[in-house]
Formats: sequence, structure tokens, C-alpha cells
Amino acid sequence: MKAINELNLPEDARYTDDHEWAKKNGDVVRMGISDYAQDQLGDIVFVELPEVGSSFDKGEEFGTVESVKAVSELYMPIGGEVTAINEALADAPELVNSAPYDGGWMMEIKASDPAELEALKSKADYLELLKG
Amino acid sequence: MRTVIKTTPLNSWHRRQGANMADFGGYDMPLWYSSVKDEHLTVLDGAGVFDTSHMAAVTVAGSEAADLLQYCFTNDLNACMGPAKKPLSPGRCVYGAFLDENGHTIDDAIVFYVAADSYMVVINAGMGGAVADHLQHNLGGREAAVTDLSDRLGKMDIQGPAAAKILGGVLADPKTVFAGMPYFSFKGHFDPTSPLADAVRLDDGTPILLSRTGYTGEFGFEMFLAPDKIQRLWERLLEAGHSYDVKPCGLAARDSLRAGAVLPLSHQDIGHWPFINHPWPFALPFTADQTGFTKDFIGRAALEKQTDFSFTHAFAGMDLRKISAGEGSRVIDADGQAIGTVLTCATDMGIGRHDGNIYSVASPDQPEGFKAKGLCCGFVKVDRKLSVGQQVDIADNRRKITVAIVDDIRPHRTARKPMADML
Repeated sequence: MKAINELNLPEDARYTDDHEWAKKNGDVVRMGISDYAQDQLGDIVFVELPEVGSSFDKGEEFGTVESVKAVSELYMPIGGEVTAINEALADAPELVNSAPYDGGWMMEIKASDPAELEALKSKADYLELLKG
Repeated sequence: MRTVIKTTPLNSWHRRQGANMADFGGYDMPLWYSSVKDEHLTVLDGAGVFDTSHMAAVTVAGSEAADLLQYCFTNDLNACMGPAKKPLSPGRCVYGAFLDENGHTIDDAIVFYVAADSYMVVINAGMGGAVADHLQHNLGGREAAVTDLSDRLGKMDIQGPAAAKILGGVLADPKTVFAGMPYFSFKGHFDPTSPLADAVRLDDGTPILLSRTGYTGEFGFEMFLAPDKIQRLWERLLEAGHSYDVKPCGLAARDSLRAGAVLPLSHQDIGHWPFINHPWPFALPFTADQTGFTKDFIGRAALEKQTDFSFTHAFAGMDLRKISAGEGSRVIDADGQAIGTVLTCATDMGIGRHDGNIYSVASPDQPEGFKAKGLCCGFVKVDRKLSVGQQVDIADNRRKITVAIVDDIRPHRTARKPMADML
């Protein structure tokens, strides 16, 4: 298990209380799960994502991430329409472990309210949450 | 009152390695170190070491020790060895359970026949007190002394096809030790004053009780020794096994390995319901025609006139997706009727389906292009008898998946391979 100071938490991403990250990527917002979340879950063996074109509210469950031990829910960091999913995760779900912010991204979302992204936690606030 | 979580002698070692730790049976135990998938797979093609010092042991000694165990333990010590059902002999051990008067499971156990009038009972974490009390309570004037060795005995396992090759590197006389050591036999003793202690010594002189058993379905050993000797053996095995890619393995890999090997987890797959109609009939003293029991034992009457007709079956899914087992889970038959709950649902990452058949990374008959992507597997408890091949759905509040009732899960397991093939 990683110590808090070993976690990779990019400055330019925003974080949720449920350990998802979200980051602006051109016109859309890219999201995934944080280094802390992947470390807690252990080896990810399956990621279940919704169809491109589906819409969800902020905080709504949109999919699951499955480790050898357990199945965990994934929640929308912001509301919006899914414009892309990371197809690479179908064959290589372990990318979520090895590169949670790069190759292990999960979806791109067209935000219904751009202010929702700004309202998420900064790295500093997320670190405070992790420290309890 | 404060509950203090217990630790094993290897606890600081696990923490130094950055293992993901959790409470299991009242002990702070490693779930995995860096990758549970790698840990699972190494036991199928190399070897893994497991800290199992959280498990408990109770000794039963005296002229009527055997009689006490016959009365309290489900298996028939006079008729349990091999297809010929021969009596248990010194140096052999046998699987079974301790039941209450309702036929419900107190705990499952392996009984080791150490020497004349001397037995060791190995049970699950935190169960030493309960099983020792149960035996004591049922003494009934028999001449037998029951001693709980909880936290006074160290234990670790090495499991996987390379286990003997690695272990041989730290034993004083591996050739003699490994000669004549079939599945479910053991040698040596952890007590330096025991006359058996000379049978198995590490090359530094430490006496151990070495047993050809385990909880993974793979070839390997369980080792019992003084707690203060555990860390040295652990580190030496990791060193000796370097070229075989030996890995320390946590409880998560242990759980997925045992699920694929159709082995029950006590208090989850067996528990407060009658210990019958399950995939482990060899743990009960059935007569040859399976219609009655060969001996009297606590719980027998309840099992014979049981009214709770629940059946426990092993299942395997179609891919690696699983559900959350336990109280919120459901088993649904073809008519959409809820017929039971899911006891265990794990992913065996060493197996997969190809044209409907299950193959393992260790299968010599793998079809071309086969890749083990992992398979969901475990146990269901249902209100009717299901047949092998029958499909049911299992569901939690999130998803529903189709699984097949099976009589075996991970093929080509190595646990029973002849020792000569493994050296």
C-alpha cells in the first residue's frame, strides 16, 4: 500500500470524495480513478463502462471497476454526456493500475455544467481528505 | 472494552514491504503485496509463501485422545485413508469438521496423528479457544489433555510446483525428508524435545513439523515451527526460491486459489447450518453406499434427520465478472425464482473458458490461442439439489450473471502429484 506521500496526484486534475479524477481535455473532460483508488483496489481485472452517448448526472453511478477481490462502483465526477470511452481497457484493464491518469483513463464527458469541474477538490484538498 | 488486533511474527516484515493489510479473524494480515494476480499465478507455475501464523492449533494427548476426536470430529479416524478407507496412521492427517448438536459447523480442521495417543488439530484463525473448549466440554471422563497452542506456534506455507525444489535448499537432509511423503502426510515436530524432531530439521538445526498439505489446491507444504524462527525461514525461502520466481503471497491470492480448488472457507462456505449436502462428502464418515454413517459423532443425529434441505454447490461463471457474495446476493433459477444465496464469489485468474471448457495456465491440453483471462467461481447455497452443468443466475444489487454448476473448477491442479515428479 502506498504511503500518502508516495501517491501520484497531478496538480492539473480535480478529485472527488469517491476518488475519481477529472481534467479538462480540449472541449471535453477526461476522467478516471485516482492513484489512491487503484492502490486500494489492487489488480484491476475488468472495467465496465457505459455506451458512448449516454448521459448521467453528477454523482450518478455509471459503471464498475472490478479487482480480483471485489466489484466497486464508479461515480460521475460531473454531469454530462459520454463522448468517448477508453477502448484499451477492454483488453488491458491493468492500465488503470499502472497509469491511472494516462493510459488508464476511463471516459470523456461533455460537461452539462462547466462549473461542476471547478467545484471539485484540488490536489491539496484531496490530500487533506486522504489524510483524514 | 477495546478489541486489540493481533499480529503474527511476520507483521513488521509485511508492513515494511508495503503490503495492503486488513483484519482477518482478528489478525492484521497481508491481503496482497504488489499484485494479487501475480501472486495467484506464481502458485500455479512457480511457488508462493504464505504467512499462516494466524491459524490455530490444539493438541489432544492421552490414552483416550483418539476416542475423544472420534466423538467430536466428523471424519472417521478408523476409516479415512485412501479408497480402501484404512485407519489413520501416525504421520498422516485428515480433513473434517467439528459440529455442534444441530449438525452446524463450529470450524473445519485437519487432524494430525502425531504419535500413539498424540494428535494435533489445526483450525482457523481465532478458533483455538472455541475448539479447545468444545473438546474439553465433551471429554466425558475420557483420559485426554487438550491444549490450545494459539499464538505459541508459528506457521507458514510454501505452495506451488517448485515448492519442494525451493524448500530442499534450506533443509538439512531434503532427500530423506521428501522420500515417502504422499499428499496429507507429515514428518518432524516443532518441539525440540519431541523424539520426532530429528526427522525434519532446517540446515541451521531448527526442528519443524512439515506437512504435505495446503489451501491452494497446488503442490506444497505447511510448516509449523517456533514463532521466533519464522522470519528466518521466510526470508531464507524467498532467497532460495529466487530463481523460481517465488513470491510472498497474501490472503487475497490464497482466497482465489482455494476457490478455484473447490475448497471451503470456514464461517463462509460452511457455518451455522447443517454440514451436509456439500461438495466435501469426504469430510463425513459415510458408509460405502453413502446411505449412513460409520460411527457416532456430535451432530450425527441432526444430520440424519435434517429438515433444512439446503444444498451447497460449486459454480463457475462464463467470464471473470463476479458479484458481491453474502446476504444481499441471490441465486435465481431458470423460472426466475430466487432459490438461495452466494457464499463465495472470487476470480481465479489462472483459468478461462474456451468453447465452454475450462482450461488453466497449467493445462497441457490448452487449445491453440487460449489465454487465461480469469473466471468467476465459488459456491452457492440453494434450497434444492442442482445438477452439474445446470445454469443459474447469480445476482447482487448491481448485476446478474449466468453461471454453471460444476463438480470441479481449476483443472490440472498439482496438489496430489507424486513427490518424485516435483523434485
